[in-house]
Amino acid sequence: MAKFILNGQPVTADVESDTPLLWVIRDDLDMTGTKFGCGIGTCGACTVHVGGRATRSCITPVSSVEGAEITTIEGLSDNGDHPLQVSWQKLQVPQCGYCQSGQIMQAAALLKDIPNPSDKDIDAVMGGNLCRCMTYVRIRSAIHEAANATLESNDEQTA
Amino acid sequence: MTSSTSDVSTSAFAELKQSRRTFLKATAMGSGGLMMSIALPGCATLKNGGISQVGDNEQWDSNAWLRIDSDNSIHFVLDRVEMGQGTYTGMTSLLCEELEVDPETVNVSFAGVDSVYRNTIYGIQITGGSTSVASSWQIVREAGAATRIMLIKAAANTWNINTSDCMAENGAVINKAAGHESHGQKITFGQLAVIAATYSVPSDIPLKDKADFKIIGKYNKRLDALKKATGTADYGIDTELPGMKYAVFTRAPRWDSQIKRFDASQIENMPGIEQVFAVNKSSTIGVAIVAKSYWQARKAQQALSVEWHESELTQVDDASIFAQYKKDLAADSGENVRSEGDIESALENAEQTISAEYEMPFLAHASLEPQNCTAWAKPEGLEIWAPTQSPDMAQVAAAKVTDYSLSDIKINTTFIGGSFGRRINQDFVAEAAAISEISQQPIKLIWSREEDTQRDWYRPSSYHKLSASLNKSGEITGWNHQMAGSGVFDYFVGDAAPAQYPFMPKFMFGMLESAGKLGEGIIAPADGSIFEGANGIPYDFANINVDYKKSDSGILVGNWRSVGYSHNGFIVETFMEQLAQLPAMKAKKDSYQFRYDLLKQHPRAQAVLKMAADKAHWGTPLPGCTQGISIHKSFGTWVAEVADVMVEDNKINVKRIVCAVDCGQVVNPDTVVAQMEGGIIFALTAALYGKITIKDGIPQQTNFHDYQLLRINEAPQIDVHIIASNEKPTGVGEPGVPPLASAVANAITAKTGQYFYSLPLTLG
Repeated sequence: MAKFILNGQPVTADVESDTPLLWVIRDDLDMTGTKFGCGIGTCGACTVHVGGRATRSCITPVSSVEGAEITTIEGLSDNGDHPLQVSWQKLQVPQCGYCQSGQIMQAAALLKDIPNPSDKDIDAVMGGNLCRCMTYVRIRSAIHEAANATLESNDEQTA
Repeated sequence: MTSSTSDVSTSAFAELKQSRRTFLKATAMGSGGLMMSIALPGCATLKNGGISQVGDNEQWDSNAWLRIDSDNSIHFVLDRVEMGQGTYTGMTSLLCEELEVDPETVNVSFAGVDSVYRNTIYGIQITGGSTSVASSWQIVREAGAATRIMLIKAAANTWNINTSDCMAENGAVINKAAGHESHGQKITFGQLAVIAATYSVPSDIPLKDKADFKIIGKYNKRLDALKKATGTADYGIDTELPGMKYAVFTRAPRWDSQIKRFDASQIENMPGIEQVFAVNKSSTIGVAIVAKSYWQARKAQQALSVEWHESELTQVDDASIFAQYKKDLAADSGENVRSEGDIESALENAEQTISAEYEMPFLAHASLEPQNCTAWAKPEGLEIWAPTQSPDMAQVAAAKVTDYSLSDIKINTTFIGGSFGRRINQDFVAEAAAISEISQQPIKLIWSREEDTQRDWYRPSSYHKLSASLNKSGEITGWNHQMAGSGVFDYFVGDAAPAQYPFMPKFMFGMLESAGKLGEGIIAPADGSIFEGANGIPYDFANINVDYKKSDSGILVGNWRSVGYSHNGFIVETFMEQLAQLPAMKAKKDSYQFRYDLLKQHPRAQAVLKMAADKAHWGTPLPGCTQGISIHKSFGTWVAEVADVMVEDNKINVKRIVCAVDCGQVVNPDTVVAQMEGGIIFALTAALYGKITIKDGIPQQTNFHDYQLLRINEAPQIDVHIIASNEKPTGVGEPGVPPLASAVANAITAKTGQYFYSLPLTLG
């Protein structure tokens, strides 16, 4: 029996211990926003946060996250209004959209570590997330946009 | 915006299409709403097609396009699939422009199978060939306009004023009659729907003038962006059914092998495993494992042993395939697909002849959502949820491998996680259908990435021989392009031909497939996909000859974003560059002017080429870079691209791509930009990395570590410029792809002098 915290709620799933976290989230806990792309951690479509760190859920056995706090795209914000989700819409980033949950989760972890990332930072952190529609140009702009929006709103709050 | 990110050969089906006049029909609903549906005269007796059967019934008829409910909600059935290319937004925009509603207020759903939803260009229900907006440009606007006219009439009758005193705006009709007691008041479409539904559809449906457009050419939102930014868009792989089980399917390493025997003893008692059985129906051959969870099925698959019969492909590899192409082309130049002047005499009398041979690789689609399909076989019928580009071909594919007839099979389409032509082939649908029928329960079949890469319907490899003749003054007098390779039509006609004739009984499917194949060039034109873009060479040469010799490699092939243009854009434009670099030529003009002067017959091409050159500051490369230029027309759209490329330490570093596009009237400018951006990096991936190799009949690449896709750190700056135009809209999903590889190659040639005759680009 696997036990962890998913988007703030304690959950359990009756699965074998080597089952990748991805399939537990999708098939047992019915959160299908996290996607399957490659199964070997090379595309990033399955990215979730484990204890706040961006993690490839397709190669993470559920036994290794026992008790951990896991956040998926469904739990990133209450109303789909995380600054990245807002900038993603504003700049019309998604095309097919399949990779975008993973892109946003990876970018959210990036902004937590580096609130105002350079292009180089973005290349280094986002290089593991593939987009076959090739929306990279907009992903880059949308991360900058979200960073700026967050910094501005922080400035206003402290001003 | 326009159309689709994946594609099908434009010519293969053009003649097969049924001529059709479409009629709109309005129906009142018991709940007080209005429904507009499409009626096809002559098909009215067909089950599932033809005239709407809905009277007081609230049930939404399968062929409805547009429904306005009394609560003012507006529902639109999208009869093209959304796989990233933007039909969801673009088609809705067309409707809303004429209907006078905000696109964001419309509920969009995906169409099931119905002949009314057929693509008028192909005669089957397919999303491909960058045709969605081009083929729906008229009819969707007419549906919107007719509905608006009826709603206005209903309002005018309510107020007892002239229709000319009414104005539709934002989902309501406003009273503009001067001095009228209700002047300035409005009635919503929802309130008017019940009255409007009693009127007949107007026979004269005038459409807006361009000057009055509020949405077309201006609207810059993507209607599915919220869903896709919050993980709530449902793709095929997200389908969940009560009691659903998970299936994996073991196929032969070579697609043509039959099962000899399999041994399931090692896995039958593994946790969660419910059934293990062979499927051998039509071309759906393999061993299915059905389990409680996907992971259990996938784990068990590792322990399944299957023996396969001999394959005819065992001796086949890339070397043998290209040897065959060359031999076949040498023996017989095949079909002549363009002939102008007298190429033989041009070559004989040439002062100088330049020749080159090209070898183009197989390419995988690698859509990020792996192939998958959910099927539920019940006694009364088979229901399928599939991310497919062609619901009616999916229906045929499912019928072929089950006991169900077409009319008992319901196809539901979903958001699609990328396709690029892959999901025109319906193998994954057939597999799920067969497995569910045998398993007698709802199943979701999911392919692994390895299966998706190794059992793809690849962009065909091909061999090309080009020669150009020059006279004493150094002018080009002749252009000869001969090629050999497989035809993609052969690999989907088996599903496409029966889909065109859904009233034919199932036992005739085989005959229809044979007729489709044999009829190529007789009742239907030959499959032109491999030479499209080669026979259309736009340059002003007195003698032009293009030949195609069909030479089937035996490897599964299909439509890959921009199909034949994907290789011919590279070949034509790199060979042109080789001519431009001839010393005598170079002394007179640069690569841009060389092309520009030869495009006199095509003013739109000249304008596109000039815009790309101007915006890229042609002649002044970015620091450390050299520039290359290329232009290609595909799916009716001209695209020119200038690449700024840095070659350092034997590495290709593409810094910037400037793109100019003329796709006629633009529907959604941002979608055009997005499709060019995506097409450019998609093509750059192929130019730098793309190659599926064949050894012993088996595709060698398996996952993203050995079939690499471009990553964000390698993505160049991209500037897209759209030519303003009043011409009819043409495709944008694919046309960004063809010029890219040649623009990059030509930039490298400018630096190193090296010419490229194969892809991916390899320095040295």
